[in-house]
Amino acid sequence: MSANLERSAIPAAEPAGPGRAPRRSAIAIPVGGGKGGVGKTFLVANLATALAKAGYRVVAADADLEGANLHTCLGVPDPGPSLADFVAGRADNVRELLVDTPIPNLRILAATHGSFGAPQPGQADRVRLMRQLRDLDADFVLLDLGAGTHPAVIDYFMIGEAGIVVITPEPTSLENAYAFLRAAFYRRLQLAMLSHSVRDVVALAMDERNERGIRTPLDLLREVRALDPAEGARFVETMRAFRPRLVVNEARTAEDVKLGFSVRSVCRKFFGIEAEYLGYVNHDEAARRSVRSRRPVVETHPRSDAAIYIERVARKLVAGLGGADPPAGDAP
Amino acid sequence: MKPLFEQDHYEVLEIPRDAGPDGIERAYRLILSTYAEDSLATYSMVRGADSAAIRERVETAYRVLSDAQARRSYDSSLGGGRPAPAGEFEETPEIAVEARRAHSGPFDDLDEAGEYDGARLRRARLRRGLDFEEIAVRTKVNSSYLAFLEEERFADLPPRVYVRGFVMAFAACLGLDSTVVAASYMRRYDAERPRQRRRFSRGT
Repeated sequence: MSANLERSAIPAAEPAGPGRAPRRSAIAIPVGGGKGGVGKTFLVANLATALAKAGYRVVAADADLEGANLHTCLGVPDPGPSLADFVAGRADNVRELLVDTPIPNLRILAATHGSFGAPQPGQADRVRLMRQLRDLDADFVLLDLGAGTHPAVIDYFMIGEAGIVVITPEPTSLENAYAFLRAAFYRRLQLAMLSHSVRDVVALAMDERNERGIRTPLDLLREVRALDPAEGARFVETMRAFRPRLVVNEARTAEDVKLGFSVRSVCRKFFGIEAEYLGYVNHDEAARRSVRSRRPVVETHPRSDAAIYIERVARKLVAGLGGADPPAGDAP
Repeated sequence: MKPLFEQDHYEVLEIPRDAGPDGIERAYRLILSTYAEDSLATYSMVRGADSAAIRERVETAYRVLSDAQARRSYDSSLGGGRPAPAGEFEETPEIAVEARRAHSGPFDDLDEAGEYDGARLRRARLRRGLDFEEIAVRTKVNSSYLAFLEEERFADLPPRVYVRGFVMAFAACLGLDSTVVAASYMRRYDAERPRQRRRFSRGT
């Protein structure tokens, strides 16, 4: 899978240089979506389990220090070591904080026992954390993000270009998902632009009610091109490299299933970015029951619709990351 | 990557050039439902006017591409690898800038040497089939100010700094190099503006 490594690195946040380690690193997959309750944690727990069952070495990391749940969904009621130890400076490297789960090949970095005083790591610690996560000895690191569009959340979405946005077929979810994509996109741009005046314009555009009337990335691109054609070219490159992946959760109707294609079209026409529709997960009682039993549904009800659709999403995700075959020979 | 009004029928429907009738039909239905008035997918992201503009473009694209004969003649008008239909939008902005730099290649009247005056802005706008309302929506510049720009009624426009901003936005909306257009237009403005003030103040 070494061909995938270059792809998972973020040119903007971490420019290639002499300091970059040549050895293989994990493919990091942040899972966000802006809104709470859309199933981010459920999806991370189940995708991680599906990948582990396929033979990959997987780490599921909980980045939601203020609403840690992932350990519960993975059947680890009291993980002990946690990301909070890294934030508080009790651990230097998150490598020391991984805990085994009941599922072979799957370890967890929990986010329990956060400090109420200073729950989130500062920016420098976040950068360090992301580097350490990519350096973990694993094939995949799935990252469960909290709700909202705070920089502490958005920055984690920059860890890899395979980021997943989870949506449910509700206006509230769409609203927050677009706000999330917008924030992630502008943050990425800000990191990619070199000139101060262009970065200022990007910062201006991040305010939705900016007086220049910049509403979409295409509006912004026009402004950037006018200021500096070289930055305009970098802008286009950044747009091309940003390929968020979409998963529709809690789908009940054919319309719900089509929602992913529609959101892809909106991303294309209004953000100028190519999103990939990874697939959907049916609304399924089995999923609810699995959460209650504190185990992933792909373990408890492997023949349920939810489990089957999650495995399909996992296959599509792996295929999209360079077509690597699952080592356990799980044919699609 | 291109704004809607620069996209050809295939780009509007988000299909490859060799899409078959089934693919065209599916894409048409999907986009129409995506940008329907009460669509969930556009909630909070796309304004009603923008959705309506897309529906209109999609209808046109579908009408042409679903008719074999109309599609053939449309395809030949696209030419080899040109991104947009002839007569609607000849050059992408990058190409226009490159062409101006190189002083070679096929110029249309937009890239000929010379100043950008009101009449030229008007020609550029009409070539793209845009009315003031559409440009006003996109640029947030009042449509009567856009008309004053074309008619060079400088005395009826707000102070200079605003005029420059309007020209930049107008030019960018037409896919022109806004810096070049604004510099040229403002030279004209600076020469003409004092004369107009005298003329109009004499009248009042």
